[in-house]
Amino acid sequence: MKGVLATEKRGIRELGAEEMVGWDEVTQGVVLHSFDTEVENVAHIRPEERPYSDFNSYTATVASWRVIKPVYNRDVCIDCQNCWVWCPDTSIISRDKQMLGIDYDHCKGCGVCVEVCPTNPKSLLMFAEAEDNEEALAKWPEKKKKEK
Amino acid sequence: MAITSIKNLKEFSTTNERFEGAHLLCPGCAHSMIVRELLNCTDDNLVLATNTGCLEVSTAVYPYTSWDTSWIHIGFENAASAVTGAEAMYKARKRKGTLKDPDAPVKFVAFGGDGSTFDIGFQWISGAVERGHDFTYICLDNENYANTGGQRSSATPIGAHTSTAQAGRVSYGKKQKKKDIVGIFAAHGAPYVAQLSPNKWKIMAKGFQKALETEGPCFINTVSACTTEWKFDPKDTIHVTDLATDSLMFPIYEIINGTKLNILYRPKNIIPVEEYLAAQGRYKHLFKPENRHVIEQIQKEIDEKWEYLQRREEASV
Amino acid sequence: MADKMELNEVEVWDGNYAASQALRQAQVDVVAAYPITPSTPIVENYGAYVANGYVDGEYVMAESEHGAMSACVGAAAAGGRVATATSSQGFMLMLEVLYQASGMRLPIVLTVVNRAVASPLNVRGDHGDMYAGRDSGWVQIDAFNAQEAYDLTLCAFKIGEDLDVRLPVMVHQDGFVTSHTAQNVYPLSDEEAYAFVGDYKPVDEMLDFSRPVTYGAQTEEDWHYEHKAKQHKALMESYKVIDKVFEEFEKKTGRKYNRLEQYMMEDAEVAIVALGTTVETAIYAAEQLRKDEGIKAGVVAPRSFRPFPYNEIREALANVKSVAVLDRSCPMGAMGALYNEICGAMASTPANPLVTNYIYGLGGRDFAVEDAKNIFREQKANADAGYITTELQQFSGLRGPKLAFYEAKRS
Ligand code: SF4
Ligand code: SF4
Repeated sequence: MKGVLATEKRGIRELGAEEMVGWDEVTQGVVLHSFDTEVENVAHIRPEERPYSDFNSYTATVASWRVIKPVYNRDVCIDCQNCWVWCPDTSIISRDKQMLGIDYDHCKGCGVCVEVCPTNPKSLLMFAEAEDNEEALAKWPEKKKKEK
Repeated sequence: MAITSIKNLKEFSTTNERFEGAHLLCPGCAHSMIVRELLNCTDDNLVLATNTGCLEVSTAVYPYTSWDTSWIHIGFENAASAVTGAEAMYKARKRKGTLKDPDAPVKFVAFGGDGSTFDIGFQWISGAVERGHDFTYICLDNENYANTGGQRSSATPIGAHTSTAQAGRVSYGKKQKKKDIVGIFAAHGAPYVAQLSPNKWKIMAKGFQKALETEGPCFINTVSACTTEWKFDPKDTIHVTDLATDSLMFPIYEIINGTKLNILYRPKNIIPVEEYLAAQGRYKHLFKPENRHVIEQIQKEIDEKWEYLQRREEASV
Repeated sequence: MADKMELNEVEVWDGNYAASQALRQAQVDVVAAYPITPSTPIVENYGAYVANGYVDGEYVMAESEHGAMSACVGAAAAGGRVATATSSQGFMLMLEVLYQASGMRLPIVLTVVNRAVASPLNVRGDHGDMYAGRDSGWVQIDAFNAQEAYDLTLCAFKIGEDLDVRLPVMVHQDGFVTSHTAQNVYPLSDEEAYAFVGDYKPVDEMLDFSRPVTYGAQTEEDWHYEHKAKQHKALMESYKVIDKVFEEFEKKTGRKYNRLEQYMMEDAEVAIVALGTTVETAIYAAEQLRKDEGIKAGVVAPRSFRPFPYNEIREALANVKSVAVLDRSCPMGAMGALYNEICGAMASTPANPLVTNYIYGLGGRDFAVEDAKNIFREQKANADAGYITTELQQFSGLRGPKLAFYEAKRS
């Protein structure tokens, strides 16, 4: 997780908390550049290595939208990447075919990842936003018997 | 062209996202699932255009953009014109040698909701497809004008409640049928036309890749379940989409050159449409005894359509 | 490489042909257009250049004017030279996108062959379409004949694409009277014309993948105002570049253009302010009146309708006693737009001339030399009386009982 979740610019400010500059400083033609410097092919650069500009929503956070949050349990996870493919908020962090965790700056707490997680017990579960992740992990349910 | 491996999800997950978080789409919105998948299934450079709608108002609100690719929004109706204008410029500059990187592979894609695809932007897409530009148009079909609070569009199915086709004491919601948008663009003779769904991620990714690889105008209608206006819990987006494809409310198929239809997904157990309808608040009123006939009608039309698609596939037309 | 076209020192071209030749010589990268009378020949002529190898760029025949201008916006954002043509209803259909083009600061060139706006349907020239564009954020330049339509179209690229401007530019010419009347036109050679216009300089282009860019973001009450104000400033200050380009053009061709054209204004006591082909009619009338009736008449014509030449108007009319402002568009419930601009300019000067408004020439109604003379004579009467002797707004050349509005309140 280190160096992936801890990149400098992730979620540095709440949406709407940006500096309100005057007419002389807004961009010409209302354009927004995604990066501060030239990039070769973004598709080949990992997010943690990109020169995100302050205009990129990557630098903002929507964490305050959440009332419940997904908690991830590495011990049960089989790295199937279901959660990755269906997360609507680019908030499942996967690198080298491994699920690493949740981007809590961008996760809105929809719960889709939990629904699509196939393990038993699930490797992702929703908890109250205020709940401590360690405590949540401590209460993780046991494997459920198949009902039939 | 360079293309991301979609052999399995593990490999697919190694792609580097070009659609960023902290956009403003509702929690659980299928739009971003579809858009992410499109962006993830290629590593070519992209020029994207988006009609006004949920996707646009949620991903480019000054001073933020959620796009790591070139992207343009002009108006409600004209993303197809914008992207094909850019495509024309690409051809001209390539010929004249004024491109900064003339060898960089590039793909042109336009997104629109069903309102801007079936209704207000219909003519613009039709024109762009007829002109034969090399681009892909993707409709994010959530069957209503969700961005403005859920009004009917010509993609709204019969029986659904919307704010401008309401269910009430004497009304069962929308009275008119949904346009067959896939058939319409197939009839343009477009080389690749399909209806795809994000719950079937691999079929969708394959379809996207096929469209991007195909030279000429391609049109894809995607099922985009809308938690807000279809009225279901955000966590259930994929579940509701499963019901949509498995009840055949949204059959998954492609049409090549307007003349060859292939069914891309055959549910093992076809479920009655009632189950799909029951999962959403917008169809709640149909379960009143006086409206039951609408459910029967929907089921009948689904059966007929499925029969028709199968016959076309069998006959290879 | 596109073939060069050998042109004679003097050609016989109508305004449409002149405009299409300028587009060809500027080596436009993308022309996206839709035909409409009376500007259709511009895109037809251009189509012939395409078909015969005189054009390297792309030629996109859209499904409507809205689609055409939308494709122009997409093309311009992709970093190349873009132009199109339209008139009247087509202009109205484009209107939504005109605002978007200027808001995105895309230097598209639009040749507008002015035509009346329905209803009732009419294909003849008036300035209804030009006026509809006056708040759209485009530079609007007016050509009064075919030569000017050619010259100013070349200038338009250079003005709009200048790094200090980066705004779209319209070049107007009157429907039929200019667009379909063949005149002697002195063109530049292909090499000279292109050398004058210069290579296109991309800014924030969508095809530079090393700098991905988002165009068309939404701004609400916290950002919209700042962006609009910034855009207004760019348009207000574009006059500097317009002057510079006109100067360069004069050096090259000897043909001198000014943001405000003035004819016989040195000693003028009365003046007509007008746009388009009417300017030449008014000049002719003024010459005759000076000779035959001793009326010191002059003519003032904004070459640049946007940005509007306020300061130049103030100077030009500083010593004039009575001014007639001619609007070739029905203002519908107000004074004419040009009238209001002139009054706005003059109200803050000590000169305070008598200014009245004439509506004329709607739907291609002929405006004869005699009509212009009558208007001058009424100005002379005002000047002699020292007050306005007519209503403030009069309709010239209209059948039926006299139609006029607003009594003057100073005498
Ligand atoms: S709760 Fe929703 S937004 Fe958060 S990680 Fe899961 S799927 Fe993504
Ligand atoms: S869906 Fe569950 S098992 Fe699969 S990668 Fe995500 S957390 Fe792990």
